[in-house]
Amino acid sequence: MKMLCNTGDVPAGESRRIELPGRPPLAVFNLDGSFYVTDDTCTHGDASLCDGEIDTDDGVVECPYHQGAFEIATGRPAGAPCTVALRVYPVEIRGEAVYAAVEEVETACP
Amino acid sequence: MPLITVNDGEAAFVCEPGDTLLRAGLRSGVGLPYECGVGACGCCRGEVGTGEVIDHWPAAPGLSDRDRRKGRILACQCSPVGDVQLRLRLDPAAVPAIPPRRRTATLVAVNDVTHDIREFVFRSEEAAAFLPGQFAFLSLPGVERERAYSMANLANDRGEWRFYIRRVPGGDATGRLFDTLKPGAEVGLDAPYGQAYLRAESPRDIVCIAGGSGLAPMLSVTRGYAARTARDGRRLDFFYGARTPADVCGQAELAMLPGYGEDLGFQVAVSDAEAAQAAGWTGRTSLVHELVEATLGDRLGQCEFYLAGPPGMIEALLQLLQTKHRIPPERIHFDRFF
Ligand SMILES: Cc1cc2nc3c(=O)[nH]c(=O)nc-3n(C[C@H](O)[C@H](O)[C@H](O)COP(=O)(O)OP(=O)(O)OC[C@H]3O[C@@H](n4cnc5c(N)ncnc54)[C@H](O)[C@@H]3O)c2cc1C
Ligand code: FES
Ligand code: FES
Repeated sequence: MKMLCNTGDVPAGESRRIELPGRPPLAVFNLDGSFYVTDDTCTHGDASLCDGEIDTDDGVVECPYHQGAFEIATGRPAGAPCTVALRVYPVEIRGEAVYAAVEEVETACP
Repeated sequence: MPLITVNDGEAAFVCEPGDTLLRAGLRSGVGLPYECGVGACGCCRGEVGTGEVIDHWPAAPGLSDRDRRKGRILACQCSPVGDVQLRLRLDPAAVPAIPPRRRTATLVAVNDVTHDIREFVFRSEEAAAFLPGQFAFLSLPGVERERAYSMANLANDRGEWRFYIRRVPGGDATGRLFDTLKPGAEVGLDAPYGQAYLRAESPRDIVCIAGGSGLAPMLSVTRGYAARTARDGRRLDFFYGARTPADVCGQAELAMLPGYGEDLGFQVAVSDAEAAQAAGWTGRTSLVHELVEATLGDRLGQCEFYLAGPPGMIEALLQLLQTKHRIPPERIHFDRFF
């Protein structure tokens, strides 16, 4: 488990991008007090989901680029053109801190 | 003619009668985002500010219920009624290198490739201008709506356009092409489109993966690579995914190219194990993405990928390349044959 940020850093209905060295950026989402961690980069192209719109009712984030969508809790694609699921990571709240089970280091593509 | 203004003046273009917002924009060199052009991928979504459009396919799968709730439209399925203010995110990469144009073409030959794929050769008056891997919209006599087909050959001054088309049971356009259209018949041809074209300047090894009728654009990309003037130390690996041994194709065309068997490799996977056994198939039996992973191993991360075929195959490949091996999307170029 790795600490990503404090719960207070991500207001309800919003998201925050977390850059850790040696791995693709992560997105922390707060849906009405429940926290979720996914990859931040859309699986359809080079766009940051933290720049996208969050639809709290549907629990969905829309990509700012082609408005493809993902279910935040599961990473499942929820709107064309996205067809490949986002990676999601198990989350634990310890006190005020958001922890996620991200692999410590990922090998990036050369 | 209707004037289309994008994002309050970021771009503007006129739309000929009958044209869609997407195609009119691309003709004028405006980078409207798109992938399929047939209402399925959802990339060309936008919102109409002021003005009115006719939606040719309100139920298009490219829009979700949420999109419809938000009043979004697909630029590839809408034509303007008068001037229109359009909001969408322009994509500099979509600005066409060769702006698409409509023309007439004549069917000159039909050749069998497999039991259900045929090569259709058309001829147009002026040169056939396109990048390797791009596609055209064909409008066929007696068929409502145009269909997208990828060119298998390379650009040429003879005006020759070669397509590999698979018969779809009960399909309108393929039924017409296979059963009625005879050499001498005239069709409308609007081209070129598509962004899964050969990046000739990339120094990376190339991997082409085709399933079913995805053969055509992958042949074009491979022909483009083989036409380079000097051997430059790069290699190209071509993978073909067939359902049964009777569906296997591509080898005859590739074997004619320089370097075949050396820096140009060809491998096939047949996915239907029962059919493979019944036919005495001695080659690989698996899904094509499994063959790609087993063959390339560690080289996977260094290559540039071109993919074409049915949506399910593309999804399995993206899962492998993007999610599992973390290959950045800008190194994966694909067309889904919706
Ligand atoms: C980019 C691209 C490239 C392609 N390249 C090739 C190729 O090289 N070779 C090949 O064999 N095939 C190719 N295809 C598939 C081809 O375009 C046709 O879908 C296929 O030949 C079946 O056509 P059909 O008329 O026989 O079938 P049909 O089932 O009669 O028509 C299928 C097509 O019509 C669309 N459609 C259905 N209903 C509607 C509606 N109400 N309004 C608007 N559209 C509707 C479907 O989405 C589908 O595109 C390509 C598709 C795409 C998107
Ligand atoms: S980049 Fe996210 S939908 Fe295209
Ligand atoms: S380009 Fe319009 S839906 Fe694919």
